[in-house]
Amino acid sequence: MLDVPLNEAVTLADLTRDPYPIYKRMRAETPVVRMAQTGRILVTRAEHTKWIKENPEIFSSDDPTTPMKPAFQAHTLMRKDGAEHRAERMAMQPSFSPKVIRSDWADLYARLADEYVSRLPRGETVDLFTDLCAPVAARILAHMLGLEEATDAEMIRWSQSLIDGAGNFGYDPKLFEISDQANAEMNALFERIIPRQKSEPNNSAFSVMLNARNPIPLSQMYANVKIAIGGGINEPRDALATIVYGLLTNPDQFEEVKRQECWDDAFEEGVRWVAPIQVSGRRVTQDVEIGDVAVAKDERVLTIQASANRDEAIYGDTGEDFNVFREKHPHQSFGSGPHHCAGAQVARRTLGQIMLPLLFDRFPNMTLEDPSKVVWSGFGFRGPLNLPVTLN
Amino acid sequence: MAKITFVQPGGASQTVEAREGDSIMQTALAHSIDGIFAECGGAMMCATCHCYIDDDRTGAASEGEQDMLECAEDEVRDTSRLSCQITVTEGLDGLIVHLPVPVE
Repeated sequence: MLDVPLNEAVTLADLTRDPYPIYKRMRAETPVVRMAQTGRILVTRAEHTKWIKENPEIFSSDDPTTPMKPAFQAHTLMRKDGAEHRAERMAMQPSFSPKVIRSDWADLYARLADEYVSRLPRGETVDLFTDLCAPVAARILAHMLGLEEATDAEMIRWSQSLIDGAGNFGYDPKLFEISDQANAEMNALFERIIPRQKSEPNNSAFSVMLNARNPIPLSQMYANVKIAIGGGINEPRDALATIVYGLLTNPDQFEEVKRQECWDDAFEEGVRWVAPIQVSGRRVTQDVEIGDVAVAKDERVLTIQASANRDEAIYGDTGEDFNVFREKHPHQSFGSGPHHCAGAQVARRTLGQIMLPLLFDRFPNMTLEDPSKVVWSGFGFRGPLNLPVTLN
Repeated sequence: MAKITFVQPGGASQTVEAREGDSIMQTALAHSIDGIFAECGGAMMCATCHCYIDDDRTGAASEGEQDMLECAEDEVRDTSRLSCQITVTEGLDGLIVHLPVPVE
């Protein structure tokens, strides 16, 4: 059994800029390693990350030392285990179920996707990230949560404020001021629309929670809706931008995907290639071995699904490449275990089955003239920050 | 050891030797049975290991399992179960598990 090796060289700034070569080396040399700058232990191999997520008794989500609580002004379901987590999650899960996606969200999303894609100017170069990926994700989410009154811009800003707060491991008070402001605005909106949700119940998450036979406490409904805002915009936004980038920088695959209409496969490969949520944190509840490394009780581990998704043990030497037509293997972008992404089916349906076919039916000859102009960024969450494409 | 038979919607079937203590879901994954995805790895959180079992030996679905079955992609019937919630024992020898019709 080995002690946890220490990596003093790698910084969060390195991982934010370009994590993949670093993870590749870690998988090979130090698959369980303490990162000196954060004190946390990075776990980069697929078999270990999956095992950690699927054993919540050993690897708890309940970690009072993360900045999530101040950012959301609540102890949210993301940081709970067991029955408590299940009760809160199941309170809104019906809104994201395949049945309700089919009955409510699929048609609505198709209309919204058409509306937002129709605004894009043919023949011009636009930033698809700001002009499509973000606002359409915000709009559908507003409907799914029952917050139609919120504007796209508000949803996007609240989401970013919550994410920045939740990732504020340096406890910079300025970032919490921003998330506090967002919380105040969201709380005011929630309060204002409760009467409507009660008098006109629908399948949105807020409505389903408010009108449940045994409702969870109101404070937890608020926290749940905020979690969905924090997680429900950047992930589909980044996934869409990543998939479009992958297709446009691999023209042979792009042509073949159009020919076969295998947009579902393009979706899965995009989220495998660059997982929108790259990292998850867990608290170790007992002394344990991860591989041949001894990890002590109360340590904090970070599972790097971004790395697991490119693990040579599963993908051979080609995991770093975007390849829609690779041999299929389950990826870990939606996680595993009790915290498996509640929005996985929504994402597959909306992006894979509606947005991608629609977007490339409208602009089959879309091009990305200069891929080097696309800036990629992010450690916890990752995706392109811009996507200047020409629409044809 | 117990023999479990998985039957696809088209009628094709495959009988496998299941290890006691594994779940039906783990048995299906170990033998690459089509139609069982088990994205959440057995945490009763995704309903992608949904199957139909008409056999009293497997008992009834718990309340949590029933709630999650409501979120299954495919048609839910009285015989619907999450295969991650059923543990293989010798007593289940000869069990027949039907897979759902994939939804387009």
